[in-house]
Amino acid sequence: MYMYLPIALTSVNYLVVMGLGLAVGLLSGLFGVGGGFLMTPLLMMVGIPPTIAAATDANQIVAASASGTISHWRLGNVDFKMGLYLLIGGFVGGAGGVQVIKLLRATGGADFLIKMTYVVMLGGVGSFMFVESLNAMRKTKKASAAAASAAAHKEKKGGFFAALPMQTYFEKSGVTHSALVPLFLGTFVGVLAAIMGVGGGFLMVPVMIYMLRMPMHVVVGTSLFQILFTCIEVTYLQAYSNHTVDFILAIILLVGSVFGAQIGTVLGRKLHGDQLKILLSIIVLAVTVKIVLELVMEPSILLSYAGGH
Amino acid sequence: MKRAIMNSTRFFMAMALALFGLATVSVPAAQALTCSVTPDNIPITFTYHGAQLAITGQSASTDDLVVTITSEPVDTALRNYEKVGGLVWMKKGSLEFKDAPRVYLLSSTAELTRILDAAELNQNLLGFDALRGQIRIEDSKGNPADGKWFDEYLKFKKHENVYDMREGAIVRQHGENGNTYKVDVAWPYQAPPGIYKVNVLAVRNGKVVERASANIEVKSTGLVAALSKMAFDQAGLYGIMAVIVALLAGLGVGAIFKKGGGSH
Repeated sequence: MYMYLPIALTSVNYLVVMGLGLAVGLLSGLFGVGGGFLMTPLLMMVGIPPTIAAATDANQIVAASASGTISHWRLGNVDFKMGLYLLIGGFVGGAGGVQVIKLLRATGGADFLIKMTYVVMLGGVGSFMFVESLNAMRKTKKASAAAASAAAHKEKKGGFFAALPMQTYFEKSGVTHSALVPLFLGTFVGVLAAIMGVGGGFLMVPVMIYMLRMPMHVVVGTSLFQILFTCIEVTYLQAYSNHTVDFILAIILLVGSVFGAQIGTVLGRKLHGDQLKILLSIIVLAVTVKIVLELVMEPSILLSYAGGH
Repeated sequence: MKRAIMNSTRFFMAMALALFGLATVSVPAAQALTCSVTPDNIPITFTYHGAQLAITGQSASTDDLVVTITSEPVDTALRNYEKVGGLVWMKKGSLEFKDAPRVYLLSSTAELTRILDAAELNQNLLGFDALRGQIRIEDSKGNPADGKWFDEYLKFKKHENVYDMREGAIVRQHGENGNTYKVDVAWPYQAPPGIYKVNVLAVRNGKVVERASANIEVKSTGLVAALSKMAFDQAGLYGIMAVIVALLAGLGVGAIFKKGGGSH
């Protein structure tokens, strides 16, 4: 039941860790998020040091998102072209974000700003998605009217985006945007993700839904495709520079998560886009409440190892 | 004169009896203090989840005993939570705990403060109060930190199971093999690999009168050792391996599910 982890230097119940992998992999396949914002604190709860929890999580997300991407690709849910633009933007933004955080840390008080940004972003995104999808679900009886309204909304937004150069048609998503739009949005999410120390899936998904107006199922597949490459980069850099990737922990996690991702994909096919959105928003809001409670309640032990979210 | 002779005879007889008595009492004291740990070599394999140690030996029956297991003192940096803006708790600064052992496990035959003088406790670093005197705590600028952080450090280490005190846990036996003692210690898996020292102190009249010691070696072996070495010595290769294995696992399971009818 127990397995010793050579880098984390601790022993864990592998059935519990596999279960965590399964649960977070399921969320990954369902919603297209990496799940780092859930997995890292969960791993810390089973005794993994924070820096190793965060780095190893990226390693297992490589497996879960590869598994999720391939099954979504088979379902025709991956917009590779859009994913590539977002990815390029994300890489640039990530590198920029790291520099921003260095500057902030040098001035002091950065941690407070980071934590607050995290709470505001999670809370804001979660609340917006919750209200929006709840409204959409109420209007399901008037589906055709809603579709017409959405189309009109598209037209309105199209006014600003249409003025930008490099207009491109994204076939899988069925939308036309300037290539600069996903590049810019990818950079924006990349900067925020680097500042907050998370993968950014929970930010990228709403950006794709509401700003790029992509269909929910294509959003999930494309987000996983983008997360896959981000996490490959993070895993390698963490292993190379910080020696914080525990390969054995990653294997135990990924045994659970790759199956979870597949189950999540199958489940996702049975759910309506708005149902998926409202479920994701509930999870994001629950995580926000947990973080807020952790912030305002005095910790039982006032010391901790460095690292973590 | 006769009375004086009688008195001196009584005196010599009393002296002889006293000497005989002392000799009888000092027989157990002559039994040298010994210490043995089983196992004294703890290999870390994939199934490692700590170990059960038995510390045994012989001692004089009247002496109290204290057994400690400690490492060489090291400096440890930890982040500390502080209230920011009067509202939220955050990791604000970092503290350096200097000259603190990684592991401190103590067992004794009785309550420490009852069997040892305060000076003796401090001199031999016995008990958490003695550790408080040894461990220096500094903030990131090198200034001495508030004493409350030692209490937090203790809570942190106890939570990790690497600091513990069990007064009264040593069991004594008096049999054909003389006076023996035994204490079982649950070795925590959280303790990092290294060499740890077991010290047994015999205590009489509030003072340490005899000592014995043994070593425990905790060492990674086989694939655990190889992976750990690779992660530090060939970090690039290790990173590539971690990525490739994760990719193959993800794609492999994706292929398995395809056979199960995952596509349209």
